[in-house]
Amino acid sequence: MIELLRSLTILVLVSFRPAPATNVRAYDTPNDAGGSVIIKWDLSKDDSIVTKYEIIRITGSPDGERVTAGFVLRGTNSYRDVDLKDGEKYYYMVRTWADGEYSDSGITSKPAIPRPQWFHTKRVVALIILIVFGFLFFYYLKLAREGAPLWIRKIAGLEAIDEAVGRSVEMGRPILYILGLGFISDIPTIAGLAILKRVARKAAEYEADIIVPNYDPIVMVAAQETVKEGYMEAGRPDLFNESNIMFLTQDQFGYAAGVDGIMVREKPGAIFLQGLFYAESLILAETGHSIGAIQISGTTSVTQLPFFIAATDYTLIGEEMYAASAYLTRDPLALSTLKAEDIMKVLFIALMTVGTILETVALITGNSGFHFLKNFFSMF
Amino acid sequence: MKREVPIAITFISGVLLVIAFFIPHEPFGSLEQRFNDWYIIVSGFALILGIDSLLLHHWNKVSRRSKDWFHSLSLIIAFFVTLIWGFYSGIKTGHFLSAQSTFRQYFYMYVFVPLQATMFSLLAFFIASAAYRAFRADRFEAALLLFSAGIVMLGRVPLGNAVAPYMVGLVFLIFAYLLYSDGRKEVDPTRRYLKIGGAVLSLILIYPVGWFFLHYTAQTAGWIMNIPQLAAKRGIFVGIALGGIAMSLRIILGIEKTYLR
Repeated sequence: MIELLRSLTILVLVSFRPAPATNVRAYDTPNDAGGSVIIKWDLSKDDSIVTKYEIIRITGSPDGERVTAGFVLRGTNSYRDVDLKDGEKYYYMVRTWADGEYSDSGITSKPAIPRPQWFHTKRVVALIILIVFGFLFFYYLKLAREGAPLWIRKIAGLEAIDEAVGRSVEMGRPILYILGLGFISDIPTIAGLAILKRVARKAAEYEADIIVPNYDPIVMVAAQETVKEGYMEAGRPDLFNESNIMFLTQDQFGYAAGVDGIMVREKPGAIFLQGLFYAESLILAETGHSIGAIQISGTTSVTQLPFFIAATDYTLIGEEMYAASAYLTRDPLALSTLKAEDIMKVLFIALMTVGTILETVALITGNSGFHFLKNFFSMF
Repeated sequence: MKREVPIAITFISGVLLVIAFFIPHEPFGSLEQRFNDWYIIVSGFALILGIDSLLLHHWNKVSRRSKDWFHSLSLIIAFFVTLIWGFYSGIKTGHFLSAQSTFRQYFYMYVFVPLQATMFSLLAFFIASAAYRAFRADRFEAALLLFSAGIVMLGRVPLGNAVAPYMVGLVFLIFAYLLYSDGRKEVDPTRRYLKIGGAVLSLILIYPVGWFFLHYTAQTAGWIMNIPQLAAKRGIFVGIALGGIAMSLRIILGIEKTYLR
């Protein structure tokens, strides 16, 4: 009896054909460079026992040659077919597989024609922001050129640079400048280099040594040029020592170990941590604290900011770091970008406040009409 | 020319990449990828510069017998041992990091990886020492930080959830005792009654607050992380994004040129 039941079960399983995927539709991938189509379908009713879905492509006409475009696992109801010819018609079928048996509805999708797009419609908001920002920037640029005073708030971390360098000189110790793990393509690294120039100039004026260990060789070359420029501006190119701006390693904790070693051996009086940092941030900042150095940190890595705030004397939080070069040089052209940034920030805050009020009202009253702002931004 | 040419290259590349962000059509669509590929190629060559700088720096220290020159010598030796062993092992097995490679087995797995882990594990001690300094309740803000950090720490672990009401009760009890002791020494009657009243209030609050933490520690921790913490974080993100745009504009337009000579 048991043998009979077992045989029957095997027979049922072997001859079982899963329900086919239905409602197969295909369309050109939006906002792409062409050559791809997105296929979507409603999952088979037997999706829980389906092993895979096979996507079949038919080129030209529904009776054309059928080619397997790809496979996806159960529970997936979309597939992106790539490397297609723009302007060609493509039809699709989805075959449902379960333990070597398959089924399909036999109906192909309507034709999809891949085409490249000239504008990314999901980036309209970014374009609006860029246009508004550009307008504000040129407006303040004009004001700056006319000689209008552009006021920006005091940034304690940047004000403390001279104090830190001076203290280091008084103690007869070198200055350590750490640019973090960023590459030259990272904006925080470029912002760090801008601050480095000011520090280097001050160091040259006070005849202090500045040590810059680097994680990336390209950043190292840029740092060498920046420090050299700082020394030249101070009129002391003779003091510039290229070997003090050296490459360490491209390993995160190897870099942390190397910089910690420099801290412990050289005992710098001032340490600047300016750039992109990850898990090594606190290892560096705490070692710096343990040797009694004055520390000024700055990063845009939000997860590392609390560590810097806890462990260093001054911290440049995110945008303050970007503002550093404009703040330090007081160049009217650079200051005009800061003013534009501030106005944009006010606009954002206003938008967020209005959005929060509207959504709260919508929640309390149950009137979906108040979602209009949210719906507008969801479109992009 | 030394400044103008790099500024022109930066301007053209920057404007092209901004355009490519909005236009997926070729030739703009693949520009970002192409620029990244070029960057990778350039950075590959730049690594030679890095190695040259590293070795020269340490060789100078060794040759001049500078302070701690022995460390520099050990770095140079380690560098060449790693390089030669890596090449030898790679050539012998046909694959530089295959499981059969002695370099991978002995050097990478048993020396390099444990060293990395050692450095990373130091973080636990550094977090403790930094937290000790940050959480000293010497100011109102620091006390607030200590309080919220305490709730988050208790709410994120099962044991913390279980002990939270007793810990909070204990804190209230200590607070009541301190207020009472202070109040007794107070000469001004108003301040004296206020402090003693505060102590009594703290004692009364032990039960309701304890009850609250018995049931809602995890939820409170979640609320702190999801509402005030995230709000502050997003505020910083908005600032960073706008600062990034401003900085990029300065670089593209040649206003920011500190990275140039």
